[in-house]
Amino acid sequence: MIIKLALRNILRNRRRSAITLTVIVFGAVGLILFGGYKARTFYGLRESTINGRIGHMQIFKAGYAKSQSQKPLDRALDDAAAIRKEIERDPRVKMTAAQITLMGLISNGEKSETFIATAVEPPKERAMSSQRITAGKELPDNEADAVMIGKGLAESMHVKPGDYLTLMTTTTAGSLNAMDVRVAGIFMTGVKEYDERAVKMPIAGAQQLLQTTKIEKLLVFLKNTDDTAAAHQLIASRVKGIEIKEWSELAPFYHQVVALYNGIFGFLGIVVFAIVVFSVANTILMSVFERTREIGTLMAMGTTRGRLRAMFMAEGVGIGIIGGLLGLTIGVLLAMLINRGNVMLPPPPGYTVGYRLQIMMQPPVLITAFLVSFVTATISSILPALKASRLKIVDALGHI
Amino acid sequence: MKKALLAILFALPLYAEDGAAILARVDAARNPINSFAVDVSLTAVSPKSTESSKFRVYGKGSDRSVVEFVAPATEKGKYLLMLRDAMWIYMPSASRPIRISPLQRLMGQASNGDVARTNFSTDYHPTAVESESGEWVLDLAAKDPSIAYARVRLWVDKKSSEVTRADFYVVSGKLIKRAHYAEHGQRVEIEDLLKPGNRTVMQYANLAPHDNPDKMYTKDALGKW
Amino acid sequence: MTSKHVIAVTGVNKTYPLGRIRVRALSDVDLTIGRGELIALAGPSGSGKTTLLNLIGCIDKPDDGRIVVDDVDVTRVPLHRLSTLRRDTLGFIFQTFNLIPVLTAYENVEYPLLLQNLPRRERETRVRHWLREVGLEQQAKQRPDQLSGGQRQRVAIARAMVTEPKLVLADEPTANLDSETAARILDLLGEINARTRCTFVFSTHDPSLIARAERVVRIRDGRIEHDTTSAALEVA
Repeated sequence: MIIKLALRNILRNRRRSAITLTVIVFGAVGLILFGGYKARTFYGLRESTINGRIGHMQIFKAGYAKSQSQKPLDRALDDAAAIRKEIERDPRVKMTAAQITLMGLISNGEKSETFIATAVEPPKERAMSSQRITAGKELPDNEADAVMIGKGLAESMHVKPGDYLTLMTTTTAGSLNAMDVRVAGIFMTGVKEYDERAVKMPIAGAQQLLQTTKIEKLLVFLKNTDDTAAAHQLIASRVKGIEIKEWSELAPFYHQVVALYNGIFGFLGIVVFAIVVFSVANTILMSVFERTREIGTLMAMGTTRGRLRAMFMAEGVGIGIIGGLLGLTIGVLLAMLINRGNVMLPPPPGYTVGYRLQIMMQPPVLITAFLVSFVTATISSILPALKASRLKIVDALGHI
Repeated sequence: MKKALLAILFALPLYAEDGAAILARVDAARNPINSFAVDVSLTAVSPKSTESSKFRVYGKGSDRSVVEFVAPATEKGKYLLMLRDAMWIYMPSASRPIRISPLQRLMGQASNGDVARTNFSTDYHPTAVESESGEWVLDLAAKDPSIAYARVRLWVDKKSSEVTRADFYVVSGKLIKRAHYAEHGQRVEIEDLLKPGNRTVMQYANLAPHDNPDKMYTKDALGKW
Repeated sequence: MTSKHVIAVTGVNKTYPLGRIRVRALSDVDLTIGRGELIALAGPSGSGKTTLLNLIGCIDKPDDGRIVVDDVDVTRVPLHRLSTLRRDTLGFIFQTFNLIPVLTAYENVEYPLLLQNLPRRERETRVRHWLREVGLEQQAKQRPDQLSGGQRQRVAIARAMVTEPKLVLADEPTANLDSETAARILDLLGEINARTRCTFVFSTHDPSLIARAERVVRIRDGRIEHDTTSAALEVA
């Protein structure tokens, strides 16, 4: 009976119910679209960070993290080839890439700047979706003394592709070493402070400069990010004497972006929530006001206060469910439409082209959108229901 | 004829042995005093500018020294501790001395410090000797891979056993610095071959024995002593 | 043992605020009502008859005095705790009919039985019975806005009777009806009162209704001016 009454009362004033539903639907659709956009953004950033820069996991020699030595490659992987073979046995692994990071001075004959270099295996580096090249080419496969330098560094050294620079550093033993290198290309990451110092060089060249055959770390790329934990375990069980770091520990920027977006959308969510609450509460309150005499009659006939509260809250719940389902449907349809369409977003830092707006639809987001609508509408009806139940019978009956 | 040939044959090995002997004499000529103090005037010349500074160096043996910054006024009060494997700087504004990493030693005057205190006979062994109009030219190879310059070429005056010039090479074989010695080692001019036009002149004066206790050469003593 | 009075009002006073002043609605009122009586509370507007009806109907509280309804002293019980009493013992008929607009005639009459949690079959029996009694079987599925004033009041009567109350209170039941319809409603009420033992108390200023009542209690300025029972006794 309460349900029947609730539904009929919702339909009683079609226009007002429609407006209330619209507000709830807006809220639900907003949550679905923004939540889906946020999810897509996180996914995109995660995958590009992993596949373009840090890999799913990084393998170091045991004790690497704790070592505080001033000497480069103090804790280095010496049997890289065997370790790689072992890791690549796992079919979930797409590829491994060796890297060394080193610092030193780079000089053009007139001045020196400090540089930070990432030494890579050129073919693997190409397989990673990478930085934007503004001049010249990628690192060639077989030239140990070709380098790529950041745009800011190229400007400060006044060089263009084909020019020569000198790299200076200390070897793993502590002796000085210097190497003339040819600038093969210039890249841009979009982060100014990084581009002013960054150098990319072949591992062979770095090993020559450092006088070593070891490598600092091995990047492991999987076919599917979801396999990370399992693959980690497998590697740890198969290879001894190493430390493994997962991508999550190596991507502070990603985590910062996640936190920022979550903060923003959390705030937006609260605003939406408040708007929906006030709107629905207002609607139900108005209907309480209009039905004052009816409420008095019901109470005179013996309807308890509790039952009266339940009647009005049922209206709130009913609107919430209808609004939630409607919002869910419209939200999903809109998301599908957007995904099929071609809405372009502006390019992020370091890129020239923008990317297509995509909404990711994940069950948690959809369920949340429905639940929020439902809960909001229910909460909104509490106060009006309380008010209705506290009316004085005589006054209510005497109301217009 | 036969006698001359024999003499030449015998003389050749003698040249190789002389490498170590020559070195020994060179070091004897360079560092007669074990514990000493000396004033150093340093002039850094570059195409754009000329800068002067003054130091007082307290040395013990061949591989320990404390450098006191005397001038310019901005540098006064700073101290540098140079040990075999490490370098520390103490600044009055900081509460503790700061270790200078090998990378930082590549830069600026710290790199010249490495050159100035190179101990040829302790750290290097001779691989070849040549003769060049009144001078021995020695090829030296570093005994240990941790030594700053992997290879040095030394020009030694035959009569005085003083070093007149030294070329410093890194592991890759690249020539990085060239030092010219004059006034019996009281004046050293170091060319930075990676930056043509840049050179540093170090003038030594008032070299005298000085009692430098061992505990002076610890990082904790730096600046307090 | 149930007493022969269904209502006993003793020494009741009631005031209520009107803006800044307090209006005295009832002063020192005593009244007893027997089972099965058909009583008219007569008086001009503002006389206090509606207030007295409200107090008997347990939808308002006296300032002092005592009220006993069907042997239950309701004087000190808070109003919201009296809902069960109202549900089972009382029936209400209003001047403005007060039907629930979203329910059909059938559902309106059924409502009090739902409050009593009666099973469906019994509800159906009773609702159909009373719709028949008031002559509205055909209109069972119609909503109030599809019914005339007279029809609506009949639904209200059926609703009031469906719980088989001991007492039905009607505040100006014919005021919103034309004279012919009013007459018919009054006939119906009289019939029901005669057939059941249900007590009917009206408040009214309608002379034809006053004429139909067995007992008339005249109220003026918050006091009982005249009670035909006592008058009858006096005459006798």
